[in-house]
Amino acid sequence: MSDYLVSEKTLAGFFTALATGRRLLAPQGQGDDCRLAETTGPVSLDYANTHLSPKGVFFPQTEKILAFHKLADKPKANQYQDLGDQAQPTVIFGLRPCDARGLTVSNRVFQNDRFTDPYWKGKYESAIKIGLACLNPSPQCFCAAMGGSPFGEMGLDVLAYPKDQGLGLKALTPAGEEILKKAQAEPADLAADMAALEKKAIQSQGSLDDYATINERKIMELYKADHWAKTAEPCLGCGVCTFFCPTCHCFDIQDEQNEVGGVRMRNWDTCMSPLFTLHGSGHNPRPSKVERVRQRFMHKLKYIPLKQDGVRGCTGCGRCVVMCPANIDIRSVAAVMAQASA
Amino acid sequence: MGNLDDLTQKIREKAKSLLKSGQVEVVIGYRAGTVPLVAAPFFARSPEDCDNLIWSSFARLNLANYLPNRAGKVALVAKGCDARSAVGQVTENQFPRENLYLLGVPCAGLIDPARVAAKEPRPIQSATESDEAITITGAGFSQEIKKAEVLRRNCQTCAHRTPTVSNELTGPETPNAPPDDFSDLKDLLAKTPAERLAYFKDLIKDCLRCYACRNACPLCYCPICFVDETRPQWLGKSTDPMDTMTFHLLRGLHCAGRCTACGTCETACPVNIKVREFNRVLDKSVQENWAYEPGLTWDQKPPLTIYQPNDPADFIK
Repeated sequence: MSDYLVSEKTLAGFFTALATGRRLLAPQGQGDDCRLAETTGPVSLDYANTHLSPKGVFFPQTEKILAFHKLADKPKANQYQDLGDQAQPTVIFGLRPCDARGLTVSNRVFQNDRFTDPYWKGKYESAIKIGLACLNPSPQCFCAAMGGSPFGEMGLDVLAYPKDQGLGLKALTPAGEEILKKAQAEPADLAADMAALEKKAIQSQGSLDDYATINERKIMELYKADHWAKTAEPCLGCGVCTFFCPTCHCFDIQDEQNEVGGVRMRNWDTCMSPLFTLHGSGHNPRPSKVERVRQRFMHKLKYIPLKQDGVRGCTGCGRCVVMCPANIDIRSVAAVMAQASA
Repeated sequence: MGNLDDLTQKIREKAKSLLKSGQVEVVIGYRAGTVPLVAAPFFARSPEDCDNLIWSSFARLNLANYLPNRAGKVALVAKGCDARSAVGQVTENQFPRENLYLLGVPCAGLIDPARVAAKEPRPIQSATESDEAITITGAGFSQEIKKAEVLRRNCQTCAHRTPTVSNELTGPETPNAPPDDFSDLKDLLAKTPAERLAYFKDLIKDCLRCYACRNACPLCYCPICFVDETRPQWLGKSTDPMDTMTFHLLRGLHCAGRCTACGTCETACPVNIKVREFNRVLDKSVQENWAYEPGLTWDQKPPLTIYQPNDPADFIK
């Protein structure tokens, strides 16, 4: 794999080349309006992060997966037909390393040695993912504290960073290398430059708390710790944290129909809702917000790392920290979990 | 020492004495947030806890939301709108009055982070405040902004900043804003029904149906919200615009004549929807028809929950 440069002069052409033969998704807009949207350029490099995480590209909030019709005189009436993965050739430019890492967490849920989810797989695998490293992480970012880096490479085909009004690019996969060559990026050697910028960006995140003891503690020790009622008390149960989280991937299957036909779809669900675990019998194994809040943090910080070789279910993107109406800060909760005794 | 510091000191002192004397089991107030421009809900159970309590113009979440279904005696740090919401919950039989101690805070209006971001879009690392201004600091900048320029919409038209009902006030009454004359609704109300529908559709186009507005709202205390009922299921779960609109319209109607304009729904909304717009149209109607404002006294009931022979509407007679 090699490094490449795109100069200020060739930047517009680079994005046009990326968008040729496939759709180019890139962050558009600023602040709370910043979102991934289709474009052919120009692409702004001056954004903190997209307001919503990019998971919706591969795992839409509502995804119709099966459909049927009720026209008795037409073939296959009242039989569900698979709508397919609805993937289209895509390149995403500007994934932040935290989000790319987060997508790998969901990827291992949707594709592993036991299951393959065709709807996720089709979209995730056909997308070329070009990351944009963070030269100036936001005040609420803490990727390094969660094991990532502002220059993290996990889950990316290419890692880019702003350089001299153009871009520096590091190819990370053959697909990434190929698209850079096709877009006529100039070969370069950026290793030293990137290492220096990464060091500076990590330092700008301030002092990093150490959550490592969570890894060492036993599940039941963390689970039975006595802080959970206090931790959960301010929670409103709204699930904003889960909707904005780049790794939250739980869904609910729903059937809807009218007089002419119907669909089966899956919708984002949230473990913060009592409905998430409500049984048909009326029993609810997570009856109060204490169990629900505990589940969310245990899942992010203990269960996922156990199942995914130490990669946490929190990537430090900071969205839930900023967005939680009750200011339940996962950094504070992680610190309590790291200290709590059973 | 400024008024803010006085209020913080008074809240701490009073909270300690209420807990020490056993008069209440918990004091629900605010602590400093872990992110700028936020004060977070905090539950003080011991005198030591009370040193975390603060008063701040970032205290946007309505704490009355934590009252329903809570056992035991509670002191609530309450600004004008929160106190009105708590009174509303008592009059709607959601919380026993004898268990409630209202520690009333004369409020001077709270800060709208969106208005701050409009003035300074760069990421903010920290924010401090004096009585008149906030100072925001980020990478390579520090800026003072007068509070009056960045108050929330509802705070700009709040006629009850100092709680009208409380067990005790923590400071001198604050001057009220000129009351909401709903003048900004004039254009909306002049629209045809079809245009109005288009307006509200556009208003909620980014809605994720996370229900943060509902969950933050002290009026939304139903044991199971109609959107969460499963037998039967009234509403679809997708991002279908009709289902989303149904949620907002029904929630608005459920809250008619009960909303205290606390703005906590808009504070909680992660996609910046002006959720209160639904309620304000209804508030205007309730005020015009029944000259009623919720939560001002212990003995009034929301007009849409009662019937009186002198009701101005003809259809009901």
